[in-house]
Amino acid sequence: MESYKIQQHKYDVVVVGAGGAGLRATFGLAEKGLKAACVSKVFPTRSHTVAAQGGIAAALGNMGEDDWRFHFYDTIKGGDWLGDQDAIEYMCKHAPEAVIELEHYGVPFSRTEEGKIYQRPFGGMTTHYGKGTALRTCAAADRTGHAILHTLYQQSLAHDATFFVEYFATDLIFDDEGVCRGVLALDLNEGTLHVFRGHAVVLATGGYGRAYFSCTSAHTCTGDGGGMVLRAGLPLQDLEFVQFHPTGIYGAGCLITEGVRGEGGYLTNAKGERFMERYAPSAKDLASRDVVSRAETIEIREGRGVGEHADHMHLNLMHLGSEVINERLPGIAETARIFAGVDVTKEPIPVLPTAHYNMGGIPTNYHGEVVHKKGDDPDAVVPGLFAIGEAACVSVHGANRLGSNSLLDLVVFGRAAAHRCAEIIKPGTAHKDLPASTYDQALSRFDKLRHADGDTPTAQIRINMQKTMQVDAAVYRTQETLQQGCTKISKIHDSFADVRVSDRSMVWNSDLVETLELSNLLDQAVATMHSAEQRKESRGAHAREDFPDRNDGEWMKHTLVWVDDKGKPRFDYRPVHMDTLSDDVETVPPKKRVY
Amino acid sequence: MSDMRNPLGRARGLGSAKAGTGHWWMQRLTALALVVLSVWFLITVLGLLHADYPTALATLARPWNAVLMVAFTTAMFWHAQLGLQVVIEDYVHTRWLETFLVVLVKLLAVLSVIAAALAVVRIALGH
Amino acid sequence: MAEFTLPKNSRINPGKHFKAEGAKKPRTFRIYRWSPDDGENPRMDSYEVDLASCGPMVLDALLKIKNEIDPTLTLRRSCREGICGSCAMNIDGTNTLACTRAIEDCRGGEVAIYPLPHMPVVKDLVPDLTHFYAQFASIKPWLRTQSPAPSDAERLQSPEERKKLDGLYECILCACCSTSCPSYWWNGDKYLGPAILLQAYRWIADSRDEDTGSRLDDLEDPFKLYRCHTIMNCTRTCPKGLNPAKAIAEIKKLIVERHSA
Repeated sequence: MESYKIQQHKYDVVVVGAGGAGLRATFGLAEKGLKAACVSKVFPTRSHTVAAQGGIAAALGNMGEDDWRFHFYDTIKGGDWLGDQDAIEYMCKHAPEAVIELEHYGVPFSRTEEGKIYQRPFGGMTTHYGKGTALRTCAAADRTGHAILHTLYQQSLAHDATFFVEYFATDLIFDDEGVCRGVLALDLNEGTLHVFRGHAVVLATGGYGRAYFSCTSAHTCTGDGGGMVLRAGLPLQDLEFVQFHPTGIYGAGCLITEGVRGEGGYLTNAKGERFMERYAPSAKDLASRDVVSRAETIEIREGRGVGEHADHMHLNLMHLGSEVINERLPGIAETARIFAGVDVTKEPIPVLPTAHYNMGGIPTNYHGEVVHKKGDDPDAVVPGLFAIGEAACVSVHGANRLGSNSLLDLVVFGRAAAHRCAEIIKPGTAHKDLPASTYDQALSRFDKLRHADGDTPTAQIRINMQKTMQVDAAVYRTQETLQQGCTKISKIHDSFADVRVSDRSMVWNSDLVETLELSNLLDQAVATMHSAEQRKESRGAHAREDFPDRNDGEWMKHTLVWVDDKGKPRFDYRPVHMDTLSDDVETVPPKKRVY
Repeated sequence: MSDMRNPLGRARGLGSAKAGTGHWWMQRLTALALVVLSVWFLITVLGLLHADYPTALATLARPWNAVLMVAFTTAMFWHAQLGLQVVIEDYVHTRWLETFLVVLVKLLAVLSVIAAALAVVRIALGH
Repeated sequence: MAEFTLPKNSRINPGKHFKAEGAKKPRTFRIYRWSPDDGENPRMDSYEVDLASCGPMVLDALLKIKNEIDPTLTLRRSCREGICGSCAMNIDGTNTLACTRAIEDCRGGEVAIYPLPHMPVVKDLVPDLTHFYAQFASIKPWLRTQSPAPSDAERLQSPEERKKLDGLYECILCACCSTSCPSYWWNGDKYLGPAILLQAYRWIADSRDEDTGSRLDDLEDPFKLYRCHTIMNCTRTCPKGLNPAKAIAEIKKLIVERHSA
């Protein structure tokens, strides 16, 4: 192995990832007087939070009656009773103050006539426990993620936060006692290796949407945190739950916000019928995403898809008029024009269900601390390790996330993680010396991939994985497709041993980075497919045709999945937290989920 | 000297001069003045196309024409000086040369204004 | 002095040509290549891409090249829908985002692709934007207030006041405009450039901000602001359809307004 010179950096806390959650944690830590570094593979405003459109949920009640308890109920029901109710209570209760805080930071929210934050309806968001439609999603036109991400970056600048931009984190560093001590990262611009020591490492690395062929996710959504956690021998949770967004642009896969339907847009099939009325008589087009995506899939399957191949749906918003579109949905008008060649004031947008969000991820408690199952304790904290945002599975989204709950998740748990760090870490605490051998494994893996000289290019393995996930871990699943998928994806995982990296340089070696990313994706693709295979019920986004019903008796539990270095998965389970955090709200017992 | 300064320090540089507005504003005002004065100048010069020297002198010596001529040359040199300063600042990045050229242009402009004004005054007052 | 010729080690050499055998609908992309690792001069490699099996955007072609022909080709990319600003580059003579630029809209036969002009190049199509980002930080781009915010409620802003931010807050910091501006080419060390000035105006225009005066103070400078000579390349090139030139004009108007004539 080549000998690499490693630069050491010491901080109180190291945040990996500079999306919404990572930035909120970073300046939250700075605010608390902790010395924090944020390590990110892209400049912060390039992170995928920027692409969130519709808004951020909070029961502000600016435009009608609302209560955080309604939000709490909707989130549990949306997640098909797989969400941890203590975490959900924490998130929904803190939502209004989190959004107000964002406004105080300068987020350019759209406004009501009274000058308050504008709120729009969103899928699954109701009042009085399903009776009315809630106007709960706070929006900055249809660029809310962009507005929030830029504001959070600006706040990080205001707090003089330290960034290491275009540093790719390769592996976590643990000591012998299983305490996370830091992270190894590659500086793309210099081509040098760095160890960032921290008393805590906060993973805010986002989802792994790019495991799928057609997804709304950015090219950079490669689940690097999840990959690192699996390699550290820790489990991920609930990976079988992958959300398909009902309105990704046909072909391009770009997201068209649910806010379109929130503002009154609706879906039609080839007969021009508003088919959602049949599937969700009361919520219709504003049923939760899993429901709408399944409905679309059935329509297409039964031959009512639109287009030459009858393989997509139409999203109509012509009737909204150009004034509403220009004011509230200017971004999607632009996106539809560029990527579908459609003038939304005159024609419908061609859409279909597109992989969008990972409900699963690194299991954490509501402080953001990573947990695993240790002996009989299903909530044992992994010392020194935090996870937040889409990378994490708190789990507030359960088996299906409601639209506009993810931006909320980012800021609430980004802040929670910062607060927790401040509670348990004294600023300036000395770092324990680690033997150089601590990094050996991470270094040899890096070196091996840097010189990988097989016969299969990274891109080839990646496309094989993406196509397999697309076909066999889709909206609807059966034992047959999943078993077939398991065999295929494991074989593809094996083929990684034969990967070839063509670029041998050190500066901005994107071929190497894509290979490191692929390795992260592959582990999670394997974990996803196998997790889906073993869960023999339908819940939220996990729809099994052979097990069409939810089975609370057997399956109301979180899947924990480990993947060893051979790509072999292993499973265990954690119970769902049914108890709430306080007496402010009561546990919502499971019942049938209808919209 | 290798540049190891922090990027923010470099971006801030010497900070704001809290100046430049006068320059920008005068450039626009002199431009505006020149639009009007150029029309007068062209009409006057075209009127003298086939005139002999004494006629030309007599025309320029008329009070209004003399006043406008001084205004025209002053505005022109003033404007030219402002514009040349911008050109020099844009393209000359050697500090001493930049300063030297800007000062030189200013001095030449002042000299030109004085010379032009004196010439017109001499004509107007019948030398 | 401004330099009008490239230094020796920046002169561009002809590069390799990659043919697409049996392509149904070939189109050639000429791409600027330079790596700091090999000590060579930059070169223009050309790649034939079969458009029959390629997505419609220039980014699709670049990724097809990277995935199928030459994995060493280096570029930034992320969202592929025109919102993150990563893939800004000079395509067919114009600074724009590769992900929203349709191949069929590129004129002529070969599509020439360069990194953003007049920036130090890190590798291939990846420019060094450190100074650009530092300039962004230098304008203190955050809400600055003295009055405490209302507790448990938002600062109020009327829809009309909020409307003033439209066309400003959408900036994605892709740097297309700044690197298209000749004034930024010559004086980018001191001139803030259109992107950063638009960002500065975004806060000046925000009714919630209470620091307009000191924001204008910080901008009133022959170089930071007044290097803008209304060339308008910024507005022409902005891939998001924003108008930085107008934002700069508004700043100038406000500064004049607070002076006596």
